Amino acid sequence: MKNSAVTVSSLVLGSLLAAPALAQSEVAEYYNDRYCMTCHGADGMGSEGISAPRLAGMEPWYLKRQLENFRAGVRGTHPMDLQGREMQPMAVPLTDASIAELLEWIGGWEYKPAEITLQADAAAGAPLYAACASCHGSNAEGNEALGAPALAGQNDWYLVTQLKNFKAGYRGTHADDTYGAQMAPMAAALSDDTAILNVVSYINTLGR
Amino acid sequence: MSNPVSRREFMNLLGATFGTGTLIRVSSALGLLPAVAALTRPVLAAPAPGAGKVVVLGAGISGLTVAWELSKVGYDVTVLEASNRAGGRIMTVRSGDVVDEIGNRQVCEWDNEPHMYFNAGAARIPSTHRNLLSYCKELGVDLEVFINESKTALIQDDAMLDGKPLRNADVSTNVRGFLGELFAKSFTTAQLEQPFTESEAETILGLIRGFGSLNRDMKYTGSNRNGYASGGFIDHGVQKEIIEFKHLMKSRLIGNTLSANEGETGPILMQPVGGMDRITAGFTRALGERVKYQTPVLSVKVRADGVDVAYLQDGAPQTIAADYCFNCIPAHFMAGIENNLPAEYMQAMKYIRRGEAIKGAFQAKERFWEKEEIYGGISWTSAPIRQLWYPSHGIHKEKGVILAAYDFGNGMEYTRMTQAERVEWLLKGGEKLHPNYRQLVEKPITIAWHRMNHMLGCSARWGRSGGGMTPEEEALYHTLQAPALGRHYMIGDQISFHGAWQESAILSAHWALADMEQRVRSAA
Repeated sequence: MKNSAVTVSSLVLGSLLAAPALAQSEVAEYYNDRYCMTCHGADGMGSEGISAPRLAGMEPWYLKRQLENFRAGVRGTHPMDLQGREMQPMAVPLTDASIAELLEWIGGWEYKPAEITLQADAAAGAPLYAACASCHGSNAEGNEALGAPALAGQNDWYLVTQLKNFKAGYRGTHADDTYGAQMAPMAAALSDDTAILNVVSYINTLGR
Repeated sequence: MSNPVSRREFMNLLGATFGTGTLIRVSSALGLLPAVAALTRPVLAAPAPGAGKVVVLGAGISGLTVAWELSKVGYDVTVLEASNRAGGRIMTVRSGDVVDEIGNRQVCEWDNEPHMYFNAGAARIPSTHRNLLSYCKELGVDLEVFINESKTALIQDDAMLDGKPLRNADVSTNVRGFLGELFAKSFTTAQLEQPFTESEAETILGLIRGFGSLNRDMKYTGSNRNGYASGGFIDHGVQKEIIEFKHLMKSRLIGNTLSANEGETGPILMQPVGGMDRITAGFTRALGERVKYQTPVLSVKVRADGVDVAYLQDGAPQTIAADYCFNCIPAHFMAGIENNLPAEYMQAMKYIRRGEAIKGAFQAKERFWEKEEIYGGISWTSAPIRQLWYPSHGIHKEKGVILAAYDFGNGMEYTRMTQAERVEWLLKGGEKLHPNYRQLVEKPITIAWHRMNHMLGCSARWGRSGGGMTPEEEALYHTLQAPALGRHYMIGDQISFHGAWQESAILSAHWALADMEQRVRSAA
């Protein structure tokens, strides 16, 4: 394999994962596409077709931690975490500098409210959310000090997948996933899929 | 054999055989075995003044077909392609090319020679795909024959004869011998009193004898159909030993030796000289500046009288207001592109699952297969690489590119591997067929369509039940085939019953063009 070290060019839009160490003249070089948007949708709005969550409007500190976790294999390596395993190799070539550039880029995307795709019992989900609120905030706005990301505004189908993954031990079980380890028992406390759907339906009501 | 087939059972079998006409029509309706494609190029009229602006999303072959047909009659067409190249899953890899897999960028370092390429996606053109062939002719794309089956190629199965590779012909000859004897035992003249005449019975027995290469006593005692063990030219040929069916039946692959030249690979197959992307190049040459690369679509908004498309060019947002939009962006991406498409249309789009096909290829340091009397064709193995394809082109050159794996349906295991793991997986599979394979090949290229940038999947999967589309799925399909607000058409092999064939994509484009033409005319 060729050297897969990735450098980041000056932030001309569309050139994030740029030229590796290879004589440019020798190859039909064009490795400068916006990988994030391929899966995560135009302006990072999320793509249900790929099961890739929205990035636009999400907290940079949380995105940073997840990119670092993916890069280190702390997330996205459990055999049953199918979506995570799609993401994980994408993060591997990133450097600290390229993560910083990515976050700056993503930060420029306009936030648009996520489409609501769930039809479950939000009222039944409200009391379940009380436990979540202590970390994620009563409006699901997130709390950086506690390392808990915003939930409001995220794609509901993504939240469902992640709660199921935490509950089943597909996420949050890696020894180095400190915050995931805090989340896992919380998800485990949700009794079943119905409870998961209900609590996410409640989060949908919190708007953003 | 201890339990012969009764006459009644046999007649039932014959009845089923004679009824296949009906079965074939049903299968065709299910998309399993399409009829020969009729030439379907729509007859289009020039657009009315000020009403001929068309935007095509995606430069796959369906989009290029639409763009070309509409350009010819005077429409003002723009093709927006997100990646740097046209063709989508029509992709040829050759020296210097980048394989733009997300998270696993590869650069092809094969010798820079015209025959040193590999078709990473579409690779075969059946002679029945008349529309595709007609474009090849129109666009000056030279074709050559593609060899799909070589009787000297190999069949290898760990479960059969200790995993020893057998020649295709040795398998098929002995399988047919066994089956022929079985037929003959089931079907003697005594059982043929009615409804056949004596001469009809003889015809049937003659067919059975010929099928199995049986002797006059209707016994299989070996054949020269699979060549001689030695001699045969200027001295007596020595017949090969029979391989007993009890050994062959251990492998599920043996059927491939009887069916490779049937179904969609039954007609003579062809390939463009120099790579499948010569077809794409033919279209883009004809379309010129109309095709814009690296212009990802940001939003699609359908109006009652047109479609507004926003896209990026050189990092800056641009817009096009078109009268019609033809969209071959893979359906799974459209969910991530802002749009106002109707809910039921998006629901149908989101229903489609992504195909998982994979391929791999090596540069072979020498054309070792030719030393084994293999020229073109496919070897089959029980190893997960499933297939090795020997090139039909570049015969007797120093080197060649060997297709090192092709799994059409179940590629996720491979997709999730690192490049190094994939290469080892390819080598392990190839070694089953050619023991010194590892020493003979170099410079691997791996293709996992599920991870290719701007594609992230192989052909669309509509059916989730494993047996074609259910009526509900078919309804979703028709929802997506119909134009949104009469202005926005989804096209491509994703809008067909027969994914992963270029002909399907072209027919989908023709269907959309004909529908548009009808709307234009009825509005006029």
